[in-house]
Amino acid sequence: MEQIIANGLYLGAQYALIALGLTLIFSLMNVLNFAHGQMYVLGGFVCYTVVAQLGMPFIVGLVASALVLAVLGGLIERFLFRPVIRRSKRDESTMLLAAGIAFFLDAVILLLFGEKQRGVPKVVNGVFNWDFRIIMPYDRILIGMLAIGLIVAFILFMQYSKAGRAMRALAQDRVAAQLMGVDVDRYSMIGFAMGAMLAGLVGALLVTITGVNLGMGGPTSIKAFLMIMIGGAGVISGAIAGGFILGMMESVGLSVLSSYGDVTYLVIFATLMIFLAIRPQGLMGKPWG
Amino acid sequence: MTRMLSFDNVELYYDHVYALKGVSIELNEGETVALIGANGAGKSSILRAITGLRKIKSGQITYMGERLDGTSAPEVVRKGIAMVPEGRRVFPLMSVKDNLLMGAFTRSDKPGIEQTLESILTRFPRLRERFNQQASTLSGGEQQMMVIGRALMAKPRLLLLDEPSLGIAPKLVQDIARAIVAISRDEGVSVLLVEQNSRMALSISNRAYALSLGQVVLSGNSRELLNDPRVKAAYLGGDV
Repeated sequence: MEQIIANGLYLGAQYALIALGLTLIFSLMNVLNFAHGQMYVLGGFVCYTVVAQLGMPFIVGLVASALVLAVLGGLIERFLFRPVIRRSKRDESTMLLAAGIAFFLDAVILLLFGEKQRGVPKVVNGVFNWDFRIIMPYDRILIGMLAIGLIVAFILFMQYSKAGRAMRALAQDRVAAQLMGVDVDRYSMIGFAMGAMLAGLVGALLVTITGVNLGMGGPTSIKAFLMIMIGGAGVISGAIAGGFILGMMESVGLSVLSSYGDVTYLVIFATLMIFLAIRPQGLMGKPWG
Repeated sequence: MTRMLSFDNVELYYDHVYALKGVSIELNEGETVALIGANGAGKSSILRAITGLRKIKSGQITYMGERLDGTSAPEVVRKGIAMVPEGRRVFPLMSVKDNLLMGAFTRSDKPGIEQTLESILTRFPRLRERFNQQASTLSGGEQQMMVIGRALMAKPRLLLLDEPSLGIAPKLVQDIARAIVAISRDEGVSVLLVEQNSRMALSISNRAYALSLGQVVLSGNSRELLNDPRVKAAYLGGDV
């Protein structure tokens, strides 16, 4: 039991970070970023390149992933989403664009990094063993703690910094935020860069544990959308709740249902369908996003 | 009296439907000017044109001797124009404190912001009581006080008010009217007030323009307009 909860928390922290980035982009720009999973994979490969190929310390890889993805996210907003949003009023346009970016990033990853599974050496060795009730390698504990630290840092930033306040204002009432002097273009770009950065950071964190490969992008995007549907799209607390709930469900599913075969996600999807039929706005979803 | 703001033959369209058809108005420093008229007469469009939320098609808007049309919304705030939008538009999930701080978004002088905040909390003591509460939990009247305070946080020279009495309990409309008078007196801020409650608007303004179908149809001293038979017939019909 303790083991299942520990695994769920560890997974949930990573998932919550991914969902936070996705929900940030959605709430600021009303864009469903289908390329979120690819950004996560790219972050993993950047970290792999820096750590495994250039031989730098893990922390350098982590920072490099964050920077590369933040710049990439900023550029994607500035040169792809912004002109499309300006010219088209229909939501489908940005959805198609996001899907196109997902395919494009998949191709870029294939060209630059190949199709092989890549990983980096363990950051720390050893296994934590609490009386055989919780057994967890130290590197997983470290990565889990880092993820939780990043979630806390993100919340503090959104809550107490001027930029964070501006982004919350923009998400809650776009027109009123403009009337306060918030530059929508500027903060959309910052928000997209931050969202992409969070995806990249998770990729970099997980490359030390599970490694990355080209095929992980799509499924990760789908999981990220599951999380914000559970929690409620566009709400920070919802993204965090959705991340931890999915992490916990996966952890429970993998240990309880494993004897019935690979049915965990089947059960999760079925549960989610029933849940959304009863509460379409998600757990924390508010009518005003 | 120095001229603060003037509209010179301004036209504004929403897609292909006109909202303003050659409107010319002016506002002097220290004045409170009311815009009255029915729904869809173009009152709010005038405010939207000033804030840069809507681009005008022709004509010219001048503010403090400089051309204002074509200026972006954030730049308009920096020039000292703050707007209280129609329907209040609070940031519902943010605290009263954060809502007020958003009003000072374009300012960076911390001690000055603190000072303005303190003066607003003194003016609206209810906001001090509710300081850390979520804005969505406030009553309509309290929200209106808060968004007026939010606009004042920018330390504006010109305050634009769009239907401040809309959806407010009749008892509180007077409080809001009094607050507007007190603000223009104490802060030396000029006010452009859009109201459907014409009686209230005329009783607290120096001058007024009546609009109909995107054009100015009447203008003059507010007190005289209050007694003008045409205004009485068209705008003060029911006792509001």
